[in-house]
Amino acid sequence: MVRSPRSESNRPANRPTNRRSVGGPLRLPWRDLLDVLALGTWSAMLFRYWIGGKLLLLLHPDYAWLSNSAAIILALLAAYRLLGIVQTSRRSQRTATGRNLSAENHITLLPRNFSSAVLLSVAVFGLIYTPQAFASQTATQRGITDTLTLTRAQPQRFARAAAPEERTVIDWIRLVNVYPEPDAYEDEAVAVEGFVFYPESWPAGYLMVSRFVLTCCAADAYPVGLPLKLDTNAAEPYPVDSWLAVTGTMVTDTLDGRRQVAIAPTEIRTIEEPKNPYEY
Amino acid sequence: MVHLNTGFTLFLSLLVEAVPFLLIGVAFSSLLLFFVNEQQLVSVLPKNAFLGALVGSLMGVLFPVCECGNVPVARRLIVQGAPTAVSIGFLLAAPTINPVVFWATWVAFRGQPEVVFLRVICTLLIATSIGWVFSYQPDIGPFLQENVARSRFRDRPKRNLTGGSSNQPSLLQGGTFLQVAGGETLQLDTPAAQRLVANPVQAQSPVSKLQLVVDNMVRELRELGAVLVFGSAIAATVQVAVPRETILGLGQGMASSILAMMALATVVSICSTVDSFFALSFASTFTTGSLLAFLIFGPMIDLKNIGLLLTVFTGRAVFYLFALASLMSFALALAVNLYLG
Repeated sequence: MVRSPRSESNRPANRPTNRRSVGGPLRLPWRDLLDVLALGTWSAMLFRYWIGGKLLLLLHPDYAWLSNSAAIILALLAAYRLLGIVQTSRRSQRTATGRNLSAENHITLLPRNFSSAVLLSVAVFGLIYTPQAFASQTATQRGITDTLTLTRAQPQRFARAAAPEERTVIDWIRLVNVYPEPDAYEDEAVAVEGFVFYPESWPAGYLMVSRFVLTCCAADAYPVGLPLKLDTNAAEPYPVDSWLAVTGTMVTDTLDGRRQVAIAPTEIRTIEEPKNPYEY
Repeated sequence: MVHLNTGFTLFLSLLVEAVPFLLIGVAFSSLLLFFVNEQQLVSVLPKNAFLGALVGSLMGVLFPVCECGNVPVARRLIVQGAPTAVSIGFLLAAPTINPVVFWATWVAFRGQPEVVFLRVICTLLIATSIGWVFSYQPDIGPFLQENVARSRFRDRPKRNLTGGSSNQPSLLQGGTFLQVAGGETLQLDTPAAQRLVANPVQAQSPVSKLQLVVDNMVRELRELGAVLVFGSAIAATVQVAVPRETILGLGQGMASSILAMMALATVVSICSTVDSFFALSFASTFTTGSLLAFLIFGPMIDLKNIGLLLTVFTGRAVFYLFALASLMSFALALAVNLYLG
């Protein structure tokens, strides 16, 4: 084998006979097209989450730029590959021979077509399916009762959460984690939003205003919540998973045999699920 | 239905979070074809097994890729003839010992800086030891999947002619062709790329370089992407099907918490670049040692990674890696729990 890339590089173009040897002039490079399709669909899926705002249901906003860049890069890759296919099929009908060969030399865990098909189907699924924000059932499964301890310590955040009525659910939880004495928060103003959750161990007349907290992506979402003391003893006056905006003051209450903060509401409004249901 | 929705959302979330890192990984690994002369790199590597393993473990600093990306790089190193100790050290340590991961861990565990440093130290210790152990098998061949081993042996004698490689891309492009029997042509583009690696003087035009990079990226994306899809699917299924309490309930004991976190690391298969954030959500309920075990062991071995490893190594080799890595991670984490925690 003599190596002389320059002189050989155009040879296939000059050899139209190759075309026949691989099965007819209309043969399309299906495998490459499948790749382009898979890349393109992935890009479309990421664009859909980006533009539709659903990305926030999946990722921490700090990582959104990564996913958005990936959408752009995948689109460019797909376009580039498509261009390559078009150019090549115009310039030379080189084919399956060389490519099959390289594919065969590279058998991996999964066959090539199978991999492409899997990627394509997942992307199509992602295009069709709309992610759902986690709700109470997931909260139960992930142990919302542990919430007061299951938070990351992040003292540097407290400085910002100065005004009590500006604290979110997670701000309150972090604050209480650092200084757990409920009496310290007595009568502080509260204004939080969250979804309705009824822990099994709580008596009627209480519900938990809950939020999921993300540290990176939905996979590590963990639920936190503040008890809300209702003035009614009716069972489940607000439907589970509906969203509430609650204002009121903090009081001390005893739930699950433990003294803890609870909200004594002055106003409870039912609201739409926020565009971004998570806290960070 | 709610479970199904949760499962799908988890699944997509893992994918959407992992794909950008996968892209970064394959981009780096493809660019290596052009910017890192592996041939030279391999030739300057220390011959001593222990030093080789140590250097291999530290090479992640040059290649900031997570575990999705380090397997292809390790595969390439092996194909290029890097010593066993170096390849194994790199394979196990690179996902953790790199600037991106260090930074992420630092951001996450700023409150517990010991976790950040212990993560690096323990990973180095484990990767170097395992690399050293594996170096007692002088020829890594029997541990490799047949096709990897084949491209490795085939390439050696042919390197002077064509460069040779295990990575032959399939992009249609005007390139280098050999005419073979039957009037057919044999595409030699990637070998051309490898030749470039072997001898950078033979530079190709930027366009054809770009084409080769893209080509390689797409091929690796396809391979690793499909595996990632399966890993994420399994991870999501287990997270939905098994109540977290069951996993976490194992967890306050000195040893049981470590085992639980290692199991979680294996199942969740989260990318090393972001796993510290994941671990952080367990920071207040789990022992420091168990978090450390999660951070050390997860990047080395998890369900997704096992799939990737199997593309390079035989099942037996993967089993040895798994056994050694898990035992050492457990021992170190237990020591941390007993003496530092």
